[in-house]
Amino acid sequence: MGRIKNLLHARSMSSLVFLVILFLVVGLINPAFLTPSNVSACFNTSVVYTLVAVGMAFTLFIGEIDVSVGANLGLVAAVVGSMLRDGQSLGLAIIVGVVIGALIGLINAWGVAIMKAPSLIFTLGVNGVLRGIIYVYTNGAWVENLPKGFKDFSSVTAVGDLTVYYCATLVLVAVVHFLLTKTKRGRYFHAVGDNAQGATLVGLPTRSTTILAYVICGVMAAVGGIIFCSRIGFVTPASGNGYEMKAIAACVLGGISLLGGVGSVVGSAIGAVIMASISYLLVFMGFSSNYDNAITGIILIVIVVVDALLQRRAIVKNRHARLAARVSSGTEAATAAEGKDQEGGEA
Amino acid sequence: MEAAGSQQDAAKQDGSGISYQVPNTLLSVQNIYKSFGSNAVLKGISLDLCKGQVLALIGGNGAGKSTLMKIIMGIYSADRGEITIAGEKVDISNPKAALAHSIYMVPQEPMLFPNMTVRENIVIGFDEGASELESRLRSVMDEIGWSLDLDRKASTLSIAEQGMVEILRGLMRNPKVLILDEPTSALTFDEVQSLLACVQELQNKGIGIIYITHRLAEVFEIGTTVAILRDGIVTTQGNVFEFTRDDLVRGLLPADASLSSGKARGAARKIDYSQDPVLKVQGFCGYGFSDISFDIYPGEIVGLAGVVGAGRTEMATTIFGMDKALGGSVLLNGQDITGRKTRQVISMGLNYVPEDRFNDGLYRIRGVAENTTSALLSSSRMGRLFLNAKEEERVSQSYVDRFRTKVTGLDQEVGGLSGGNQQKIVIGRAFSTSPKVVILDEPTRGIDAAARGDVYAVLQELRDTGVSILLISSDMEEVVELSDRALVMYQGRIVQEFERDQIVQENLTAAAFGVYQAEAKAVTE
Repeated sequence: MGRIKNLLHARSMSSLVFLVILFLVVGLINPAFLTPSNVSACFNTSVVYTLVAVGMAFTLFIGEIDVSVGANLGLVAAVVGSMLRDGQSLGLAIIVGVVIGALIGLINAWGVAIMKAPSLIFTLGVNGVLRGIIYVYTNGAWVENLPKGFKDFSSVTAVGDLTVYYCATLVLVAVVHFLLTKTKRGRYFHAVGDNAQGATLVGLPTRSTTILAYVICGVMAAVGGIIFCSRIGFVTPASGNGYEMKAIAACVLGGISLLGGVGSVVGSAIGAVIMASISYLLVFMGFSSNYDNAITGIILIVIVVVDALLQRRAIVKNRHARLAARVSSGTEAATAAEGKDQEGGEA
Repeated sequence: MEAAGSQQDAAKQDGSGISYQVPNTLLSVQNIYKSFGSNAVLKGISLDLCKGQVLALIGGNGAGKSTLMKIIMGIYSADRGEITIAGEKVDISNPKAALAHSIYMVPQEPMLFPNMTVRENIVIGFDEGASELESRLRSVMDEIGWSLDLDRKASTLSIAEQGMVEILRGLMRNPKVLILDEPTSALTFDEVQSLLACVQELQNKGIGIIYITHRLAEVFEIGTTVAILRDGIVTTQGNVFEFTRDDLVRGLLPADASLSSGKARGAARKIDYSQDPVLKVQGFCGYGFSDISFDIYPGEIVGLAGVVGAGRTEMATTIFGMDKALGGSVLLNGQDITGRKTRQVISMGLNYVPEDRFNDGLYRIRGVAENTTSALLSSSRMGRLFLNAKEEERVSQSYVDRFRTKVTGLDQEVGGLSGGNQQKIVIGRAFSTSPKVVILDEPTRGIDAAARGDVYAVLQELRDTGVSILLISSDMEEVVELSDRALVMYQGRIVQEFERDQIVQENLTAAAFGVYQAEAKAVTE
């Protein structure tokens, strides 16, 4: 297992190196950036992206995708926010939020695993429906006046300038990474994405693995929605818009392949920090943070195109190797395999 | 071969003793039927496999070998019939159930997880602890004497190594029955030898092995029993030592295989072999084939026989500019078309009709007319900017009339037509580009007998207009019926050329399975 883990590490390591270089370059341009509180802010800001990206990673591992996470997050944030505003207990709100996320995951799983619909389009449709529900539910109004304690908790720090939320998320990422790499079931996600047909042939439960991946993704987006509520302090009907692209870009940047079977959640967590830092860093470099989305998109496109090129080359190479192996190596092999028959036939 | 043969014989005698006296049957399938739609693939298959037997399963393309194995593995379910394991009737509804019954299939194309290590690939799906699996894997590998770096990524393995991983996967499951589906088709000569040695090792351990192959030589080398499948039935079954190569070849032929060759087809066509060939292929090499040389003369149908994987389609698509040529030359009417783009090859007068009508050929939800003329869209004949609707209608109607295609109108959706009529439209499209040479890849696969006759008539009619046809077909009867000359490919090379009076199914089949001998021909005549 050593070597492949090295490789996974290499993939997520390169994004860590990228992150460090990014910070150093911005620090060179504007020395004011390199203070503990600024750097910590980049990490603390990434907490929601990290949660969503870790969930997204599960659907990418199995070779599918879930673009409904943005609306999922927005809906849960709106529901949890309005429950808290109306004086419901935090525990109940969290339970309701997580259940909503799990249900959305199940709907996506039904479409992809049972009905075999293309996951990109199916979850895009779900995204639209959920966004519509948010507008109906909130009547287009903002959810405001959340309890002060709930909002203030988001700035409570645990280690240095790092918030409790971010530290808890780091622990979660570590636990998920351990489960994915060290348990038998954990490897099923990568196996299904790597070769679904092969997974069936060795008796792996491909369908329930797919369903589980979507439920995890839905729940992670829901948890992201609850933290979002606490950190931002209000919810608009457009909350969570574009989070799917941020999450996908974070995963891809962290070394997860969109073709499935490759990558780790550690990588997606690092990618999420980069994604969260972009707008922050832009300001320090003297640019408008309006470029944020465009830059995210460009990063996504570049990585995906390079990945696709490499993959296509590998497929063609494998096909040619397989075909070339079929050709008998000429007269020696034919003679050896068939005795003198062939020469007799040709004579 | 001699020395090995005598050892083999001893082993086979043992095998036969077990199979017919002791009820040591591991796996038995009885009266298995399976249809896909109206296409009956298996028509009552019964086979037995005993401990320590190597059952060599042979048969042409579409004989039903793969379907039968998929039923045993629970990938398909049989329409009728039963499977018993060690005397007990079992219900295998999915691969998991087959694995639970200690059956493992090494598929023809390895099904590894490319991004995982060799170790992960082998131990995935087991419930034991990691260290226990590791020691079990080590002992399995020691036992058969293989060494493999378990930490390598599967995507870096050669085809042979991938096959080894698949076999190790199977052995880790302590199989009682191991199915090997053409395990040697992608191996080099040395690799084949080590694989065959391994199979014998497993056989000695009492594992029952079903060994599917296209190479008759292997049947004699490692098989203890042999079964021949043809058109969904078992035609021949028994101990290997009871058969000669000729017996096996005969088993592969249809029961009513007439010995009629080209010369019996009445008025022989006169082909002028003194003129220049229209297509001249010399020393042509590419992925999947090597050193191919042949000529095709104007107005000639040349059959190209062989089994799946012999490299025929690869050669055709490479001539057609869809894959990279590695050497040699292809001359069309004296012009070099080697390595040209598909579009140029078509405009220079060569067209190719692929095997899979839907994936590569037809626009299913478009009308008859649009399909017929789609190959002409880049020529100015169909109008420069806007489509010339009259011309489209004229061209399409002419082919519908000529081929007697049954359509309700030129706007009928092609997806709703029968297979034979669809094939006529694809052929019509290829000929609408006024080619000099057309390569047809399995033109009658999946088409019923009546429509097949229609397609043959169309091809003969086209040939009479002076077009040359290279007919790739795994249906030997078809090659006999249509060919003026026939070539046979085996393992990527042309191993035999037959003149018209030598084109009989027996010769073609023997050559396609790599066992053609000059004497065989003498016997039939």
